[in-house]
Amino acid sequence: MSGGVDSSVAAALLHAQGYDVVGATMKLFCYGDEVPDRPCCSLDSINDARRICESLGVPHYVLNLESAFGHDVVDNFVQEYAAGRTPIPCVRCNTFTKFRDLLRKADAVDAQFIATGHYARVIGGELHRGVDPSKDQTYFLWGIDRAVVSRMLLPVGAQTKAETRAVARSLGLAVAEKVESQDICFVPDGDHAKIIRQRLGDDTPALACGPIVLADGRVVGEHEGYARFTIGQRRGLPGGFAEPMFVVAIHPETRAVVIGPRDALLGRGVVAREVNWLVDAPAVGARVQVQVRHRAPAAGAEIIRVDGDEIELALAEPVAAITPGQSLVLYDGTRVLGGGFIERAAGTRPRLPVLAALAG
Amino acid sequence: MRTPIYLDHAATTPVRAEVLEAMLPFFGARFGNPSSAHRWGREARAALEEARERLAALIGARGDEICFTSGGTEGDNLAVLGTWRALRDRRRAVVSAPIEHKAVLAAMHEVAHEGGEERWAPTDRHGIVVQDRYEALVDDEVALCSVMWVNNEIGVIQDIGALAATAKSRGAMFHTDAVQALGKVAIDARAVPFDTLTISGHKIGAPKGIGAIFIRRGTPLESLVFGGAQERGRRPGTENIAMAVGFARAAELAVAEREQECTRVAALRDRLEAELVARIPDAIVHGRGAMRAPHILSLSVPGTDSESLLMALDLAGIAASSGSACQSGSVEPSHVLTALGVPADLGAAAIRMSLGALTTDDAITRVAELFPSLIDKARRLGGVRA
Repeated sequence: MSGGVDSSVAAALLHAQGYDVVGATMKLFCYGDEVPDRPCCSLDSINDARRICESLGVPHYVLNLESAFGHDVVDNFVQEYAAGRTPIPCVRCNTFTKFRDLLRKADAVDAQFIATGHYARVIGGELHRGVDPSKDQTYFLWGIDRAVVSRMLLPVGAQTKAETRAVARSLGLAVAEKVESQDICFVPDGDHAKIIRQRLGDDTPALACGPIVLADGRVVGEHEGYARFTIGQRRGLPGGFAEPMFVVAIHPETRAVVIGPRDALLGRGVVAREVNWLVDAPAVGARVQVQVRHRAPAAGAEIIRVDGDEIELALAEPVAAITPGQSLVLYDGTRVLGGGFIERAAGTRPRLPVLAALAG
Repeated sequence: MRTPIYLDHAATTPVRAEVLEAMLPFFGARFGNPSSAHRWGREARAALEEARERLAALIGARGDEICFTSGGTEGDNLAVLGTWRALRDRRRAVVSAPIEHKAVLAAMHEVAHEGGEERWAPTDRHGIVVQDRYEALVDDEVALCSVMWVNNEIGVIQDIGALAATAKSRGAMFHTDAVQALGKVAIDARAVPFDTLTISGHKIGAPKGIGAIFIRRGTPLESLVFGGAQERGRRPGTENIAMAVGFARAAELAVAEREQECTRVAALRDRLEAELVARIPDAIVHGRGAMRAPHILSLSVPGTDSESLLMALDLAGIAASSGSACQSGSVEPSHVLTALGVPADLGAAAIRMSLGALTTDDAITRVAELFPSLIDKARRLGGVRA
């Protein structure tokens, strides 16, 4: 329980359905730098969770998973940025922290299920998208152990966010009107460079100056650290081009940030690693839907290669901004088949921009 | 669930009926401010000074040597910082032990932050301050030594007489945090040469928010708070009459019942310890090789973790604790066990059960049966350690 509306309502709904509920809040990092009014993961939100449980008449515990979270999630987060990728820490938190470490705490108190406030559903032992398409969180849940799915209870996944808030209001929960958490919980001010600097030191190459280049290697500017960029980003790039320019690649070995026009972002295939299946692994040739970004529409794809825990798919239509480090999630309708971390886009065509200003 | 069992008396205790009764008039008609010159004021003043003298008498002190505080943390802060600030021009160092309560540890760090020098006397593996290592630290640079009488996590009793005598022989002041000692060991300011001593009400059946510090006549001490002349200017602010009266009453009861209650509690603790060790032969009882207060049992079982055990215990109706809880309520590694050289995995498995007024023979029997079964289960699952 984060102290937010979703997990609070999840607890309240299960309690009302007659489950023997035990509330738990994970303490995942040090609260040294308190940010006021944070919707979750702060001292105040722990107190909110505790008060919700007190009002329901169920026990509540704060579980210190700081050291494992630091290793499994935060360290990986900075390493991914240093490797020129854009990490998705919520996936690793779900995989390792919530649905592995926390589950073992649940075992210690004989809890049969682990319930969260995720917008997703478990139907017949399989994971499905939540009912509310704008809130669906399966993009972050593909990495959990398949055997755990049948132990998951996701009560808010069967309703919309508006319905969740309505339930919170009807139950008189104090958190009903709480704002949505948008940031990564351990990067409360959105300044991920600060965490990278804290963990890797002031002289990390990831935050050192480097060139901004075109696909042919021409230097068109300078940046203050490739870890500040992600694929598809426009902010912080030099102007003077006749068409909008985007980050299309990051090369940590040369610290180069490659930029290009919109169609240079398009990928016709995608390679993912650390693939995890929540159903029996589909065969090469299987047609699926894939999602390569949170909240992006699903795209048709065909599995063209499976190599251990690496997979390659051909996309039916080009997809923009396939970003190494983000999730690739495979679906069959609302059913989650599995997923992996994007290694690279395949089938991209580098194209140089129309050099209006530069040429002139 | 059967009646829950409270085994966390070292954290806090319920207010005794006699104490509540003694306080009630001051929440009603006797509401006066002791600084006022009128009849309400006089009445309040009389009650306050009577409470002060009754409390003083219990520890061999005089009334003017007792200063009421909000509790243990304030007392520890005032004793360490107040004494050091008063002496810092001549003596800049302070000596303490790594097993102290955070109220002393943090005050020591504040001394260092303000330009003083903190020195740490190590303990042996049972938690007893090593006398010759301590003596080596106490030279004519030292303003104050502070060593707790009874440790709150493992219950070990220090030789306060010897430690205080060493400090006095080198011209240093001596403070002892006696929060867990009051009602458990005999405290006599005439017999033991401590200069300041901190006690707290809620550990002995008074409410939270009241405590006292004994300040021997002539002890240099600067106030940490500025305002009026209350408590001889050492602790300005309108006095909490009701709670001072309640504290004096609770202390009287605790001291009067000390020998009998300690015998009763020690027998229960020793039985619990013996039964648990018999059923869990590899359990490690912290501080077992030293003199211990009768109410605390701290133990670690290899292959378990305190966080999961405390949850399982609570769900089974047994309230215990680990080392010290942090602000969030999560379990933190114990600095006390670390200081004793207890390996990190055992430190992370520590469970403190503290007995007291609510502890019955039947409760101990139930815990002695239930605890080993929870241990068996925890070991089957394998502790997850964060």
